Amino acid sequence: MPGTHVVDDIELIIEDIGGGGGNKPPLGDDGGGSDGEGNKRRKPTPISPRRYHTAVILAMISIVMFFMGLAATYLVRKMGSDWVPVQLPFMVWVNTMILLASSGTMEFARRKQAAADLKGFRTFWRVTTALGVLFLIGQVVAWRELVAKGFYVSTNPASSFFYIFTAAHGVHLLGGVGALLYVLLRNFDSTKLTLSVASEVTSYYWHFMDGLWLFLLALLYLGK
Amino acid sequence: MVDHSNGGKANGASGPGFLRGTLLRTDHKAIGLLYLWLALFSVFLGMIMSLVMRIHLVWPGAPLLFLGGLENSPERYAALTLLHGSLMVLMVLTAAPQAGFGNYLLPIQIGARDMAFPNINLLAFWVTVASLLGITTSFFLAPHVGIALWIASIALFCAAALANALNFSVTTIDLRAKGMTLPRLPITVWAWFINAILSLLIFSILLAACVYLLADHIFGTHFFSIPTLLSDVSLDSQTAALPGLWQRLFWFFAQAQVYVAILPCFGITTHLIASFSRKPVWAQRAVVLALCAVGLFGFCIWGERTFAAGLNPYSQLAFGLLASSLGLPASILLMSWFGTLWNGKVRLTTAMLFALGFVSLFLAGGLSGLFLAGNGLGSVVTGDDFITGHFHLVMGIAATFAMLGALFFWFPKMFGRRLDERLGKIHFWITFIGVYCVFMPMHWLGLISHLNPSSGTTFTLATAATSAIQSFVTIATLVTIAAQGIFVANFVKSLGKRSEAVEENPWRATTLEWSLSSPPPLGNFAGPAPVVYRGAYEFGGLDRSEDFASQTLPTDSTPPALPGGTDPGLRPVAST
Repeated sequence: MPGTHVVDDIELIIEDIGGGGGNKPPLGDDGGGSDGEGNKRRKPTPISPRRYHTAVILAMISIVMFFMGLAATYLVRKMGSDWVPVQLPFMVWVNTMILLASSGTMEFARRKQAAADLKGFRTFWRVTTALGVLFLIGQVVAWRELVAKGFYVSTNPASSFFYIFTAAHGVHLLGGVGALLYVLLRNFDSTKLTLSVASEVTSYYWHFMDGLWLFLLALLYLGK
Repeated sequence: MVDHSNGGKANGASGPGFLRGTLLRTDHKAIGLLYLWLALFSVFLGMIMSLVMRIHLVWPGAPLLFLGGLENSPERYAALTLLHGSLMVLMVLTAAPQAGFGNYLLPIQIGARDMAFPNINLLAFWVTVASLLGITTSFFLAPHVGIALWIASIALFCAAALANALNFSVTTIDLRAKGMTLPRLPITVWAWFINAILSLLIFSILLAACVYLLADHIFGTHFFSIPTLLSDVSLDSQTAALPGLWQRLFWFFAQAQVYVAILPCFGITTHLIASFSRKPVWAQRAVVLALCAVGLFGFCIWGERTFAAGLNPYSQLAFGLLASSLGLPASILLMSWFGTLWNGKVRLTTAMLFALGFVSLFLAGGLSGLFLAGNGLGSVVTGDDFITGHFHLVMGIAATFAMLGALFFWFPKMFGRRLDERLGKIHFWITFIGVYCVFMPMHWLGLISHLNPSSGTTFTLATAATSAIQSFVTIATLVTIAAQGIFVANFVKSLGKRSEAVEENPWRATTLEWSLSSPPPLGNFAGPAPVVYRGAYEFGGLDRSEDFASQTLPTDSTPPALPGGTDPGLRPVAST
C-alpha cells in the first residue's frame, strides 16, 4: 500500500521535531513507568511540569489576541469625529513604577529560590504580592482622579477606552495576584505541582502582565 | 427529549450518588457525554423553534404554542431567529463535535488518562450550561435587558470555549503516549487540535467584542456607534431598528463559528471514510496540511475583516467567507475523500452513510457558496432565503450529518451497545432527502426575491410559485423533523437494551479507543500507559488474518491472536 510508505517517510522527518510528546516517556499521572514496562509502583510522583508551561504560553497568546481585539477597536474608533482626547491621570505613572518594581522583586525571589533560600524567597514573594495589590488599588485611585476631573465611563469614547483597558488589565492582573497568593499559601507537599514549577509559571504570567500594561499605556498615551 | 436525557444520565450514576457521580465528575468521558446530552437537548429546542418559524411564515395568523408574545411583531420574530441560531450554532455545532466528541475521544486516542486539567474541564462545562440558560432566558425579557443578557451569555460561552481550547491543546501537545508521534495522530485528533488553537484565537476576539457591547448596553458608552442607540431615540425608530440589531449580532458571531464548527467535522468524516473503506487516508499529509490551512485562512480572512472594522458587529461583514477561504483546502479534502473511497472495500454502515451525506451536502453548499463569494451578492442578500439556505446546508445540516455519523460510529464504545442499523438507515435516507427538499427550494426563493419586476411574465409566474414553494418547504420540514423521531426511538431502544453487548472493536478500527473495553474504564488504560507503534490508518493488504493493524501492534511481531493488540498492558480490563 502506498499509504503506509508515505507515513514512514513523514515519521523519519517529524519524529525529531516532535520530540515533544512522541519520544519521551508517557506523562501518566500514576504508575506511568519509565519504559512502559510493567512498573507497578503506585507512588504519586510529581507530574511533568511541561503541561503548565505549555498552558501558560497558550494562555498568554490568547490574552494577547483579546487585547489586540480591544486595541483594534481603539485605533478604528479614534478616527471618529466625536473623539475628545483625555489627559492620563498622574497616578498611572506611579502605578507603572509599582508594577515594574514588582517584576524586579519577583526576579529577586526566584533567585533566592534557585539558591535554596526559602525564607528569602518567601519574603520577596510577599513583597511582590503586596506591590501587585498596591497597583490594583492605585488603578482605582487613578479612576477616582479621572472622575474628579469629570470624565466618567460614558463621557466620551476616549475616556471609555481608558476605563475599559484598565479594567480588563486589572481583571487579568487580579488573576496573577491570585496565583501569587496560591504559591505563597499552598502546601505543595500534597500536590502534583511542585513549588518551583508553580513559581516559575506564575513569574512568566506576572512579567507578561507587566509588559501588557506597558503596551496599553503606550497605546493610551500615544493614541490620544 | 428531556425525559430520556435524564434517563441516560441516571444510567451512569450507579456509584457515589447522582451529583458527584455524574454531574461533578472530572473524568473526561463523563464530561464529553454531558456535552453531548446538552447538545441533544439544544437540538430539539432549536428544532421546535424552527418549526414555529416555518408555521409562522406559512400561516402568519395561526396562534403559536407557547409564544403568545410573538404577535406578528417583527422584533419578536427576529429575536426568535437569534435564539434558534445561537442555540444551534453555539450549543450544538460548536459544543458537540469539539467539546462533546473531542472530550470523550481525544485523550483516549492519544493514549492519555485524562485531559491536562480535568477541573478546568468540568468548570467549562458548567459555564456553558449557565450560558445556555442565559441565552434562553434573554428571549423572554424586554428587548433592552434581553440583549444585554444575551451578550453576557455569549461572553460566558466564549470564556468556556477558551478554557476548553486551552485544555485540548495542552493535552495534545504534552500528554501523548509513547510513540504517538505527530504523523501517527488520527486525523480526528489533528482536527480537534487545530480547532482548539483556532478557538483560542477566535474566542478571545469575540470576548473582546462582547466586553465592548456589554459596556455599550450597560454603561451607555459609544464604542460601536450605531445610528439608533436604544436609549436616545424615539420609540418608533427603536422598534424599527430592533430586528436589524438582532440579525447583525447573530451574523457577527456566526461568521466566526463557521470554521470552529466545520473543522472537527472534517476530521470525523475523514476518519469514518478511511475506516469504512478499509484503506489508509489517501494523501494523509496533504489532509493534515489542508486542515491547518482551513484554520489559518479562516482566521486570517475573518480576523482581517474584523480588525479592520474594529470588532464592530454592526459593520457589514462580507458573506461567503467560508467559500472564499475554503476553496483550496476544501478541494484537497474532497480529493482525499474520493481517493480513499476509490477501490476501497466500502462498507455502507449507517455511520458511513452519514459521512458520505456530509460530503454530498458540503459539495452542494459549497457550490451555492461560490455565488456568494463572487460579486457583491453577499451584502445584498443578508438575511434572506438564499443565505438561510446556504448557511444551513453548509454549516448546520452538514455538521449535523458528521455528528450523527460520529454518534453511530462511537456509540458502541460509549455505551457498550450498538444502534440499530436498519432503523438508522431509514432515518438517514428520510433525513437526507428531506434536507434537500427543505433547503434547495429555499435557494430558489432567495433568487426569486431578487428577480427584476420589469421582467414581466417570468416575474408574475415566479411570485405565484413563491407561496407554493413556501408550503412545500414547510411540509418537508415537518417530515424531516418527524423522521428524527426514528432516531430518538433507535437511541432509546439501544440504550435500554441490556442483553446485547457488543465486542470491544465492532468496526475493526485501528485507533487506541478500540483496544479498550466499552465503555472504557476510569483512567482509560489499566496498567502502564500504552505504547504506539503504528500510524492511525493501517488497513488492508498486510498479509495477515485481519485487514487492519491496531496502533498498539508492535511492528516486528507475529500476527495477533486477538484484535485487542498484543501489549499486555493494553488488554482491556474485564467489562462489568
